[in-house]
Amino acid sequence: MRLRLHPPRSVGNVLFYVGVAVALGLLLREGFRLGWPLFGQLVVNGLTLGSVYALIALGYTMVYGILKLLNFAHGDVYMVGAFIGFGVLNVFGAPPNSSLPVWLLVSLMFLAAMIGCGGLGVAIERFAYRPLREAPRIAPLISALGVSFFLQNSVLLLLGSQFRQYPFGLINPGGVQLGTVFISATRIFVIAGAAVLMVVLTIFVKRSRLGKAMRATSFDREAAMMMGIDADRVIAATFFIGSALAGAAGVMFGLVFTQVFHFMGFVAGLKGFTAAVIGGIGSIPGAMVGGLLIGLGEAFATGYVSSTYQDLIVFCILIFVILVRPSGLFGTPAIQKV
Amino acid sequence: MNRRTGGVAALLAVIAAIAAVAVTTATATPNHAARALVGCKGGATIGLLAPITGPAASLGEPQQRWARFFVSRWNVTHKKFKITMREGDTQLPNVAEATKAAQTLASNSKILGIAGPAGSQEVVATTPILKGVGLAYVTGSATRTTLTDGSRSGYFFRVVPPDAVQGPTVARYIVNILKKKNVLIIDDQETYSTGLSADAAGELRSLGATVSRDSVSQSASDFSSLISRINNNVDVVYIPWQLPPKAQLFAQQMREQGKRQILFSSDGTFDPTTYKPAQTAYNSFFPVARTNKVVTAYKRSHGGQPDFFGTPTYVATQVVVEAVAKACKNGSASRAEVRSNIRKTNIKKSLLGLRVRFTANGDLNGGRFGIFRVTNGNYTPVG
Repeated sequence: MRLRLHPPRSVGNVLFYVGVAVALGLLLREGFRLGWPLFGQLVVNGLTLGSVYALIALGYTMVYGILKLLNFAHGDVYMVGAFIGFGVLNVFGAPPNSSLPVWLLVSLMFLAAMIGCGGLGVAIERFAYRPLREAPRIAPLISALGVSFFLQNSVLLLLGSQFRQYPFGLINPGGVQLGTVFISATRIFVIAGAAVLMVVLTIFVKRSRLGKAMRATSFDREAAMMMGIDADRVIAATFFIGSALAGAAGVMFGLVFTQVFHFMGFVAGLKGFTAAVIGGIGSIPGAMVGGLLIGLGEAFATGYVSSTYQDLIVFCILIFVILVRPSGLFGTPAIQKV
Repeated sequence: MNRRTGGVAALLAVIAAIAAVAVTTATATPNHAARALVGCKGGATIGLLAPITGPAASLGEPQQRWARFFVSRWNVTHKKFKITMREGDTQLPNVAEATKAAQTLASNSKILGIAGPAGSQEVVATTPILKGVGLAYVTGSATRTTLTDGSRSGYFFRVVPPDAVQGPTVARYIVNILKKKNVLIIDDQETYSTGLSADAAGELRSLGATVSRDSVSQSASDFSSLISRINNNVDVVYIPWQLPPKAQLFAQQMREQGKRQILFSSDGTFDPTTYKPAQTAYNSFFPVARTNKVVTAYKRSHGGQPDFFGTPTYVATQVVVEAVAKACKNGSASRAEVRSNIRKTNIKKSLLGLRVRFTANGDLNGGRFGIFRVTNGNYTPVG
């Protein structure tokens, strides 16, 4: 016998569409009231921030999908990625004093951050989570919090509390003027870069052998192992990919918002986690949509209401989605065998 | 009575006996702690309360470095009276941690005075603890006006002028000198910033200016949407924030969106190495002598970083140490003596470019703020 643990989907669906219609109506009203140039600028701002959140959310959702673990250290892995990018920048120098062309410098920053964070993710899994895999669920959760504090304070101890600055307009100080909306080259790069990474990840998970193994392990680890899948290897690969995406998000954040510091992972991690929950934790497309929704929600809340209420509005969106769609936008309903 | 019950009864009896002895023999009171003499022939101990870790570590670390810098300089020149500094990490804005750190320092009977804490909310939270054991505490950054309302007189002192001085100074400069009438004030939701914003807004309105308010979390890293909604009829954007890098990002994002308003900021963002807006900008700060030999020496020993935000804590440490040294002249001192000496402080030319003397309520006597024009990281005094 199977038991459904969520409210009737039809009622949730109706409420969900009503909510979406109300939100769109409010946005249109503000668009007419305050002008479309502001609307366009807010969309650009929201998509930039949302792209970063989406990349962070992917890591949360992949790990949860495969281990049912909320990896609270993920935000700090993202912070480490931003610092690795900054380190590369320091080694080769920032333009115009750099010994490398900009495209190569930026590629190296991404490569170093993704490999470094991927390795860090694997190490975290190996030493902080794997020994606790058979322990009650609360144990790895506490371990994750411990790793988060460890990373935060290690960076504080090693690199100090100062904010480190990426150069403003590193990729290109210019941009594109669309009517009255200005989109900087860096923002275009970040939105496009995040989209490419997300598409590549989706194809990888759907088509590749390892991706299929990841999905099988996520669905039923024991059955996957019986079919000859090395679950430890798959879990390590999941941590590597999720953490590499967080590293890329860290560099993207540095490129657009220029400042990195030891505590930056906390808020970003929280937002990334929220995005993963809104999208349906465990769902890759859900994490992407959730991230973009949170980014746009923040931008519209700040632009049309007040930045004071930005987080309040974002978390109201979370509560609304959880109420009407308990498994998130793309999540599958919880089904329990009894 | 079985063995187990008997054991429990015996344990309870022992606890009761210990409690009875403790109650009947305890003579130490807060007043006693304040008057207790501490031997300090070859040196003495002071405390420092600062947010050394946590979200505001970028504010606390400069304070810690400047305080340590004072102590190390003192110890080089005073071989016969060395200072030991015990540090407490307040983890601003986590007031509970500030309370714990204050309790740790307060329970150390060797500590004769304290530099810090940093935040106004920390001053409020730690007052009962520090005052209870008779400790004087001298802050280098807590500027909420009401802290010196008389309820902490004789215990709390500050070497920085309160918001009631800085806010109106900025307001008068905007209206009277820059001749601007439409001001948007954006606070960073921290006590320092909201207090200063309120004082500036009040003065601006009384001078006939139009004031609009907004606020953004200190932890925010994207101000672009907030900037998008700034009206073109706004003349000046005032950001009394605590973190120079955030102000720099705000300035960059304003430029990115082509916003041309004058940017005005406060002492919290006075950092020529970090805050270098490309547009017209002004900043209010103490008339600190940036070419002073102490600043030069500090920069030399700290990788070229001036950490100006920490300079008032250098002066706060100086006030505490000099008061302790004076009290220790006869080989012993009490916290009450140190408090009395701090009240009488008179540093004619401090690092802040101000004379340091205190009013009865602990405020800086005659404290004032200077106005600096900021051009690509060059800070020129203009008022």
